[in-house]
Amino acid sequence: MNIISVKNLSKEFTFPVKNTKYSWLKNLFYPEIRKVVAVSGISFDVKRGERIAFIGPNGAGKSTTIKMLSGILFPSGGDVDILGLNPSKDRKKLAYRIGTVFGQRSQLLPNLPLTDSLEFYGVMYDMTNEQIKIRIKELVEIFGLESFMDQPVRKLSLGQRMRAEVAVSLIHKPEIIFLDEPTIGLDVVAKKSLRDLLLKINKEENTTIFLTSHDVGDIESLCDRTIIINHGTLIKDLPTEDLTKTFFSEKYIDIIPIHKFKDFPVLTHGIEYLTKEPNKITIRVDINKISVKDSLKELLDIFDIEDIDVYYSDLETVIRNIYERDSTSI
Amino acid sequence: MKGIRLAFKIINTLTKDSFHYPNRLYANMLILVSRLGVLLALYWYVFKLNGGIINGVTFIVVAWSMFFYFSFSNFNLRRISRLIMEDVQSGNVEVFLCKPISYLSYKIWWTFGLGFYNFIFIGFLGFIILALVISVPASMTIGLFIPTLILELILATILTFIIYSIVGLLAFWIEDVNPVFWINDKFVMILGGSYLPVALFPDYLYKIAIYSPFGASMFVSHIVYDSWKVDWLKLMGIQIFWIITLGIFLIWLFKKARGKVSVNGG
Repeated sequence: MNIISVKNLSKEFTFPVKNTKYSWLKNLFYPEIRKVVAVSGISFDVKRGERIAFIGPNGAGKSTTIKMLSGILFPSGGDVDILGLNPSKDRKKLAYRIGTVFGQRSQLLPNLPLTDSLEFYGVMYDMTNEQIKIRIKELVEIFGLESFMDQPVRKLSLGQRMRAEVAVSLIHKPEIIFLDEPTIGLDVVAKKSLRDLLLKINKEENTTIFLTSHDVGDIESLCDRTIIINHGTLIKDLPTEDLTKTFFSEKYIDIIPIHKFKDFPVLTHGIEYLTKEPNKITIRVDINKISVKDSLKELLDIFDIEDIDVYYSDLETVIRNIYERDSTSI
Repeated sequence: MKGIRLAFKIINTLTKDSFHYPNRLYANMLILVSRLGVLLALYWYVFKLNGGIINGVTFIVVAWSMFFYFSFSNFNLRRISRLIMEDVQSGNVEVFLCKPISYLSYKIWWTFGLGFYNFIFIGFLGFIILALVISVPASMTIGLFIPTLILELILATILTFIIYSIVGLLAFWIEDVNPVFWINDKFVMILGGSYLPVALFPDYLYKIAIYSPFGASMFVSHIVYDSWKVDWLKLMGIQIFWIITLGIFLIWLFKKARGKVSVNGG
């Protein structure tokens, strides 16, 4: 059963721009209006319990879409149906059934302990005191909040704060949670912890997860389906597994030497140099041919390494690859 | 019912928050004492030079009029303009728009909660001190005083919120509302009786103070005048007129502003 249904959704923003050819009076009263198409006729459906990654490069229209789905923005065209409700018309009704987390904003009360934020939002969602108490207990258990429940929110680490943000957005047991870049700025450990918690919530409470992220790791480890948009248009909607096989088949390794690199020996099949500099080399690993573990073993044997960094290609590169692949297949 | 429960929760939470920062309270008290103290010292001297009565009003009445003005001003309800502006400028408005609340009501209660503790504590303390130092005028001892004071505070609060919310919502169009806020605030201060008590206004200015929404939002400074027992109904009628008129405008403006919400990020 579809709980999110989006058909031909569009959003245009218009804003006045100063035209140097106009007089100041004309610029003031009849300014030139510029139109930006942020989202252009996208359509997709989401079933209950799915974990969706909604990805794209900067300015692709991800946040605009998520904000139209949660009722913050009014669409310029198309239809949205979330849990049988129209977000533009039934914003408040819908708010009782969805949760939202914006990675770059906070909904917590900064000077008070986390308990106060949880109680505060419980009241906002019209829960009884007894329901709030029970739910806080559940969330403390699931999210491991106990150790910092009594600390003022402003004293929490970024990782703890994001866990708290997600916990607060789940206080009313929403059926869908929209997360806009939830792992932004988090370190590797905090990212993993947050992903694990979201998976747990999805499994235990069957909460549908709709996530935008720039982090390939979020998508790969958390989402079972990926929707890719660029320039406001949907370019791919596919299982994350297929995306990983096809487009995330490469990993990159940056190596910093203890002493400057002098020699660059030939590497095994599946590993190749991307850049060779005395102070840093970058290596591309085709994980369909050789595992990261084996690649690292080989590199550690060859080089005296001071520091090492393993990462996926960024989303922009992945999307460029998708375009290249699609254009060669036509 | 849900709205009332949430309003109480906001006030409780913010009062609790205020307890964490007692220094803020002391600072506000110091500001109030110094502003009011200097003005009262000057007026005391001016009244003394004029034989104790100017324009039919005694120093005690003027002092209490100014006290009510400054106590209400200390509630700081006008900060709603800046809170809305900051939400619009930072994009934080989206955090509230996906909650099951009315953004405007929420901001109103939030602003109320932020100033409530200050208003009650400093107002009560100031009342006691002023009553002990200069005593109370006869106009404050009549039976009508307390009920009309409460009613007047409610109406003044509503009208102040409406005026300053309108200023705040302009941020959806002009982003920086500081110049509008400043002009608006000066009108309220002058016509409300911050610099010169309304009882000492020339006739034409007195009429502007009474019939403009800026002056009407500060009718609390009128309640100690002898004329209050005759005029209170008329003055509250004027306030109710502005509440209805500007309230309708505020709702219309808010609906327009909702359509102007833009978004940060891609």
